[in-house]
Amino acid sequence: MAQVQDEWSITAELARLELDENEELILAREAERMRELFLTMSRADADKPEPTTQAVELNNRIRPDYVDSFNNVESLIEASPEQEDDFFLIPNVL
Amino acid sequence: MPQITTNWSGVITNPERKQSYIRRVREIDKNIGSFLSFNPDLPGSDTTVKGALGGMPIAVKDNIAVTGHPLTCGSRILENLVAPYTATAVQRLEDAGAVVVGKTNLDEFGMGSSNENSALGTTVNPWNNDRVPGGSSGGSAAAVAAGLVPLALGSDTGGSVRQPANFCGVYGLKPTYGSVSRFGLTAYASSLEVIGTLTRDIDLMETAFGIMSGIDENDQSSVSYEDSVVPDSDISSVVMLSVGNDMLDDPVARAYMETGEALRAAGYSVTEISLPSLDLVVPAYYTIATAEASANLARFNGIRYGYAPDFAENPADLMKKARHEGFGREVKLRILLGTYVLRSGFQDQYYGRAQKIRTLIRKELESVFSSADLLLMPVFPTQAFLKGDSEMDDFKQRLADVFTCLANLSGLPALSLPIGVENGLPTGVQFMAPSFGEQRLFKVARNLKDTFPLQTPPNYLDIGSLV
Amino acid sequence: MKAHDKYDVFIGLEIHIHLNTESKMFCSCKAHYGDDPNKNVCPVCLGYPGTLPLLNGKAMELGYLVAKSLGCKTAIKTSFSRKNYFYPDMPKNYQISQFEEPVGVDGLVEADFGLSERRKIRIHDVHLEEDAGKMIHAGDITLLDYNRAGYPLLEIVTEPDLRSGEETESFLRDFQRLVRYLGVSDANMDEGSMKCDANVSLNHPGKGLGTKVELKNMNSPRFVRQALNYEIARHAGILDTGGSLVQETRLWNENRDITEVMRRKEAADDYRYFPEPDMPSFVPDKAFLARVEAGMVELPLEKKRRLKAEYSLTSEQAEFIHDEAATAVFFEESVKAGADAQNAASWLSSDIRKLLNRSSLTLEESPLDARRFATLLGLIKEGQISGKIAKKVLGKIFSDNLDPRDIVTKEGWFQISNPEELEVIVKKVMMENPDVVSAVKAGDIRQKGFLMGQVMRISDGKAAPELSGSILDELLGNST
Repeated sequence: MAQVQDEWSITAELARLELDENEELILAREAERMRELFLTMSRADADKPEPTTQAVELNNRIRPDYVDSFNNVESLIEASPEQEDDFFLIPNVL
Repeated sequence: MPQITTNWSGVITNPERKQSYIRRVREIDKNIGSFLSFNPDLPGSDTTVKGALGGMPIAVKDNIAVTGHPLTCGSRILENLVAPYTATAVQRLEDAGAVVVGKTNLDEFGMGSSNENSALGTTVNPWNNDRVPGGSSGGSAAAVAAGLVPLALGSDTGGSVRQPANFCGVYGLKPTYGSVSRFGLTAYASSLEVIGTLTRDIDLMETAFGIMSGIDENDQSSVSYEDSVVPDSDISSVVMLSVGNDMLDDPVARAYMETGEALRAAGYSVTEISLPSLDLVVPAYYTIATAEASANLARFNGIRYGYAPDFAENPADLMKKARHEGFGREVKLRILLGTYVLRSGFQDQYYGRAQKIRTLIRKELESVFSSADLLLMPVFPTQAFLKGDSEMDDFKQRLADVFTCLANLSGLPALSLPIGVENGLPTGVQFMAPSFGEQRLFKVARNLKDTFPLQTPPNYLDIGSLV
Repeated sequence: MKAHDKYDVFIGLEIHIHLNTESKMFCSCKAHYGDDPNKNVCPVCLGYPGTLPLLNGKAMELGYLVAKSLGCKTAIKTSFSRKNYFYPDMPKNYQISQFEEPVGVDGLVEADFGLSERRKIRIHDVHLEEDAGKMIHAGDITLLDYNRAGYPLLEIVTEPDLRSGEETESFLRDFQRLVRYLGVSDANMDEGSMKCDANVSLNHPGKGLGTKVELKNMNSPRFVRQALNYEIARHAGILDTGGSLVQETRLWNENRDITEVMRRKEAADDYRYFPEPDMPSFVPDKAFLARVEAGMVELPLEKKRRLKAEYSLTSEQAEFIHDEAATAVFFEESVKAGADAQNAASWLSSDIRKLLNRSSLTLEESPLDARRFATLLGLIKEGQISGKIAKKVLGKIFSDNLDPRDIVTKEGWFQISNPEELEVIVKKVMMENPDVVSAVKAGDIRQKGFLMGQVMRISDGKAAPELSGSILDELLGNST
């Protein structure tokens, strides 16, 4: 069980999910249950079908290279949790 | 113009009627909780509204962006977010005269089948307040069922429009993938979801769909509807998914059988079929949906908008705290699962395998529709279940998505329609059609309307009787 | 440019260039340097919920163009993938990039390292992706500017075919020249429109690739050379003592001229690539491919060789002229307008270069065009002005923006070629410098230079040198 727990801990870290002890236990258990459900997919033939990589096959949609600026840029900065002048603000990375 | 539009005209544009309407909505919704925010007086609600929908009030699920209205997605992490732009589907309806009066409650980020996963409010089923309205578009379904609006928008990723519509006794359409722009729909599972509509009037459903659908330059996965409409031939053959005896609750099973009989009586040929890959549908769906969700929800990290903790030591700490304090449990679980199935060393076995099963299912359905016009299925094994976990825990709820997520995996359109009421709760079924076959869905719904007339729950807002 | 004496050296590069488009890769915000922070942003490039990426068609064209000019097999069907990792400068915390189906693979670039052997450097792939925002650290806070988030990037990955710091620097400069020729990017490492990371490993001869070290933070081709040479020496030192290397990422410290181990980044190593569901695949059609083809130009290496052969230039001259496409165009137009190739090459690489530097202008911006240049050289050839005067005329073209002939006329700088006039001047000089004249007659030929100098001085440089010289000789001889 410890090893299974580790896998979910690693996964949580990859997803930047900080789980408290309680959550970790419950979520790991529920996640394991789902994972076991997923394993039933092995019933299907692994080799034959091509994977569906895109819901809409080919579309060749492109946007012409023109500038069309957003009309309310100020509101976007104002909406951030922390700002300073025109910058978004966070604690220092280092 | 559908009759219903005429019934609702003047509700917004006539100040007296509007006040009456607002009062009545607030009264009823106090007990139901369908709206997370009700703002009939926002700048967009012009009092001189013109267009095919002529001032019709509509409700929009709170994961779809409408400028000036909140965009909470039912989550603490976006509790304070106000949308700076409007979803294309909504814009098109607004351009046709619709007025967005409020945003409806939902399972957080669209993840759930009960509406109980909302962090910001509770919605109950208008037919029985001890029961759930279904999810994730529970608020929209309840609002329509209670008569608060004639039309509501939802999103359907694995059944999230059809199942609550079914629980609340209204029509719910999941259009063909790509036929309605996803621009403005907060992404949960990008390759599976589409904006859908809930209403009690099939003509209005068709009108709204016609207005909303079509290629959008803001969504490069949207497709042109006109090009690919399936010819509306003499629709006459229906195949009915063979469902095991113990799979459905009795009322649901009864409604299912009655529908088959009614179709035969109406001149359709009805044959039973089974889908060999049916038991692979739920695991494949959840693998793909959670994988895409894990990436789509990564953007919520307390920096550019939304919730951020008061204090964090460094950016990594900031991101983790924001997500820890901002996301509910079901969301965390699905992000965890989705991250896992994409991990190096696991991806082939899980995500890769699921995508192959997806192809299998598409092929099976293609084969079904090569010799039938419609596929009839149940929507959900039970009627609306009780609030709390007693009847249906989360895991069971997910397994029960089997009938609905077929349409999402294949991208095909499906319509859930109400059949009757038993034990004071709605029953219904769903029809699925080939790509761009929405017309045949509307047609069969019309054909069954007289046999199975829509019913209304108690405390229904009858707009006709509004002063 | 020798490879290491003792060990096999393997160097591969990951180069990123900003593509010269008007708008960003996936939205219509302006893609422009130097604007005020967070001015060129929108809900899409800020990663707002419900927004979708909208592929810039021009960026796709430029991607195919570069792939083609690097000799790649260009994709019949190309698609995007999500590269998942968290970082504050990432609006979506995944980058839309290309993984399974990039625009080009398996390319081959001929490199001219000045050696007799011509080497080919293999290109692993060329793919499109989007850039992240910028972070500015200030005390205990970090400021974020997302103007750059969503810029169109092209990443070029080479195989580990380079063998030394010098080769790599040369390759990088060639690469810069190539993409500038194509007009796809400014490719300035100090401005940030080009970045280069390197992978380097050493191994005992014949043993294949060694343990590789990734190098970052090299902000010019010169630093790339220095960093690589430093690393190679460091690896060699370790191998010499029988030690083994750690696979790690190191940063070049340009103040201390060393590489240092990088502190572990937040970024997870497992990128969990999967196909981007919001963007269908792209299959170039005939019209698209025609537009790409139209963007192809004579590539630098070909041009250099052709210039050398066609105009009988030296390697140095060809190197200089082809360095910028505009210079080469100017050169060829001048020759077409009648200039002598050798003279043109010589003037371009000396006096004209100096004037351009001093005035901070490019050739295209300067008042000197091919026609004026050809005329100027023609005036010299015809003997109408001397070389020295020509330099002054050139200066005036720059300062006054006039035609050479007009300048010469206005300044009265036409060469004095009338033998009678010249004789007067020469005689005057001889008269004013009797001692020098005697010395020359006595056999001190060197002093003749002094006399010629005086002739030039008195005539304001206008005396026709050869003719004056022969008149002087005559007069010196006659008076014997």
